[in-house]
Amino acid sequence: MIINTTILSWVTFVYFASSIFYIFRMVTGKEFWGPLGSFVALAGLIAQTLALILRWVESYKMGIGHAPLSNLYESLIFFAWTIVLLYLIIEWRIKSRNLGAFVIPFAFLAMAYASFSPHVSSRIQPLIPALQSNWLISHVVTCFFGYAAFTIACGLGLMYLLKGLGEEQNSRPFLRYLPDREILDELSYQSVVIGFIFLTLGIITGSVWAYSAWGSYWSWDPKETWSLITWLIYAAMLHSRFIRGWRGKRMAIMSIIGFASVLFTYFGVNYLPGLHSYF
Amino acid sequence: MKKTVLSLFSSLKLTIGLLIIIALASVLGTIIPQQYEGGESFRHLSPGLIRAFKSLQLVDMYHSVWFVILMGLLSLNLIVCSLNRFPTSWRLFRKIPSLDRGKPFENLSPDNVLVIERKRNEVIERVENLLRRRYKRVRRRETASTTSFYGEKGAYSHFGVYIIHASILIVIAGAIIGSLFGFDAFVNIPEGESTNVVSLRRQKGIKELDFTVRCDKFSIAYYENGMPKEYRSNLSFLKNNKAIYQGPLLVNHPVTFNGIRFYQASYGSVPGGQAYITIQKGDGQETTVTVKLGDSFYLREKDAKATIGRIEENLMSMGPAVLLNIQSSDGNMRLWVFKEIEKIRKGIPELLKKVPKFDPGLFKPYYFKLNKIENKYYTGLQLSHDPGVSSVAGGSFLIIPGLIITFFSSHRRLWVRLDEQEGKTRVLVSATSNRDPVGLKREIERLLKLLKKAEVVV
Repeated sequence: MIINTTILSWVTFVYFASSIFYIFRMVTGKEFWGPLGSFVALAGLIAQTLALILRWVESYKMGIGHAPLSNLYESLIFFAWTIVLLYLIIEWRIKSRNLGAFVIPFAFLAMAYASFSPHVSSRIQPLIPALQSNWLISHVVTCFFGYAAFTIACGLGLMYLLKGLGEEQNSRPFLRYLPDREILDELSYQSVVIGFIFLTLGIITGSVWAYSAWGSYWSWDPKETWSLITWLIYAAMLHSRFIRGWRGKRMAIMSIIGFASVLFTYFGVNYLPGLHSYF
Repeated sequence: MKKTVLSLFSSLKLTIGLLIIIALASVLGTIIPQQYEGGESFRHLSPGLIRAFKSLQLVDMYHSVWFVILMGLLSLNLIVCSLNRFPTSWRLFRKIPSLDRGKPFENLSPDNVLVIERKRNEVIERVENLLRRRYKRVRRRETASTTSFYGEKGAYSHFGVYIIHASILIVIAGAIIGSLFGFDAFVNIPEGESTNVVSLRRQKGIKELDFTVRCDKFSIAYYENGMPKEYRSNLSFLKNNKAIYQGPLLVNHPVTFNGIRFYQASYGSVPGGQAYITIQKGDGQETTVTVKLGDSFYLREKDAKATIGRIEENLMSMGPAVLLNIQSSDGNMRLWVFKEIEKIRKGIPELLKKVPKFDPGLFKPYYFKLNKIENKYYTGLQLSHDPGVSSVAGGSFLIIPGLIITFFSSHRRLWVRLDEQEGKTRVLVSATSNRDPVGLKREIERLLKLLKKAEVVV
C-alpha cells in the first residue's frame, strides 16, 4: 500500500472519532467534548491535505502526473475533504459546534466508502484521453464544493426536524442544546445559496469542458441531466423562500430532498448508461 | 381573459410547478433509453413498450414537442414574471422616501439610540460627512428641533434577479439558435482516404461539405498498464485538392475549419491491414509472407491455396489473429492463427482440442505462426457547427454576477435623526434591508460606534 492511501484510511478513523465526540457533546451536553471534536477534525483535515499532496506528487513520480481528482476513490476523498473544510470554516464563523454531529459523519461515510469498499480502487491511474483537460480541476472542485454545501444544508435540515420533534414532545433533553430553529433555518438557507452558486459554476465549467471534449456543451447525458434536476430542485426551493417566504419545516424537507438528488447525481447515475462513467 | 392569462403566467405556482415537472420529465429521460444512445439498451424492452415510448416521443424526449413546449412555457413564465415585477424594483431603486417619516423610529430598540454630549449644531456636519462617506444619495432635512438624514447603499441589488433571468433566457435563446441553424454530424475516414460527405446526427441524412477532409494517419498510444493515453488523427483539410490546413486532432483539442469544429470521437479497424505469417513446412523449413486481406499464398506440399479471410486486432480478447481459408483437394478448411498461441495454450490447455480450428498445426504437415499484424484504422470524427454557442457562453458568464448580486448584496436604507435635549444630542438610527438582517444589524452596530466618535474630536 502506498503511503497516501495508508494515511487516508487512518483519516477515516479520525473523522469517525470526531463524529463520536461531537455526538457525545450533543447527547451529554458537556462542552468538554466539543473542542475535542473540532481538534480531531482539524487534525484529520491537515493529515488528509498532506495525503492529497503526497498522492499528487506520487502520480508525477509515476510519470502520469495529474491532480488527485480522477476516479471514484479520489472524488470520494475530495468530497470528504470539502465537507470537513467547509464545516470547520462555518464552525469558526458562527462560533458554534452544534452542527458537527450532523455533518462530520457524512465525511466519515465518504472516507469509509472510499477506503473499504471492494468496488473502489485506490490505485493511482493515468488519465484517459477524455480526462486530459485543464477543466478537470475547476470542474471537479466547483462541483464538490457545491455537493459539500448541500451536505451541510441537509445536516441542518435534519437538525431542524429533530429540534421540531423535541419541541413537540418535550422529551429529549439533549435537543435543548441544538440552536434555535430560526438560526438553523437561516444557516441552511445560506448553505443552499453557497451550494447553488458552486453547482451553477460546476455545470458551467462542465459544459465548457464538454464543448471541447465531446463536441457539444450539453448532450443530455444522465449526469448532466441529473445535475440540472438538482439545480431545478434548489431553484424551486430558493424561489419559494424568496417570493413565498417559505421557512422552516418545508425548507428543511426540501434541503433533504435536494441532497438525495445530489447523491443520485453523484452515485446513482453510474447505474445509467452515459458518458460520465469514469466517476 | 387577457388578465387571467397574464396572471397565470406571472404566478409563482406556475414557476415552481414547471420547475418540478421539467425535473420529473428529465428523470424519465434518464431512465428510458434515448434513441441516440444506440439500440443496445432497447434490446431488453418488449416491442409494445417500445411502440408506446415512441408514440409518446419518449425515445428522444429532450427534443420532443412536449418537452420543448415545457421549456417554452418556462421561458414565457420567466419573461412575464420579470416584466411584472420590474416596475416595483425600479421604484425601489429610484425612489427616495421622505426624510421626516416617523415610522422607522417607532418601536426603536434602545440599542439604536445614542447620546452625544454636545449640541446638535456642533455634530450635524460631522454626522453628515460620516454618512456621505459610507452611503449614497444622502439627504438632510432640518426642522426647528430635529435634523433628519436618509442614506442608502446597494440599491442595485434589486436587479440581480433580472440579470439571472435574462442570462437564462440568453442561454435558452442560444440553444434555440443552435438547434435551428447548427448541425451535428459524424464521419468515419480510413487512413489515407478523404471525404466531403458526412452523416447528420439529428436531422438524419447526409451533408456535403465545401471542402474535403483527409485522414493521413490515426494512432493510439498506450500507458504501461495498457490504458489508452492518446488518440491522434493527423488530418488535412483540402480545397480544390490543395491542403489548406494540416494538423493533429486529439481528444479535448478540437480543430476548427470553415466554422465547423472537428472532434476526435472514435476509431476502428478497416480491411487493408497487413499480417506477417511464418509458414513452417514438414521438413522444418520456414518461409515468411506479408499478406493483406484477400491475399493468398500457395502451399506446395499439399497443392493447397490459403486465403486471408480476416485480420483481427483482438479476437475474443485473445490478441491478434488471422483467419486462413485453406482450399485443397481434401476440401475447404478454416483456420484461425493467433499471435499469442503459446500463452493461450498455457491459459486454456484443452482449448485446441475443443476448437480445432484454433490449432495452428491443424493443416498437416504445415504449422502457421503469426508474427505481427499492422492494423489499418479509420478515425471517427464528430463535426459540429453551432452558431448559438456565443449566446450560451454569454448567458453562462452573465449568470455569475447575477447570482452574486442576488445573494450577497442588499439594499440597505438608513434613517438617522438628531434631536437636542438639555444640551445633549440624541442620535436615533433606524435601517431596513431587503435581505440579510444579520448583516444589517452588524452594520448598525459599526455605525453607532463611529457616530459616538463624533463626540470626541472638535
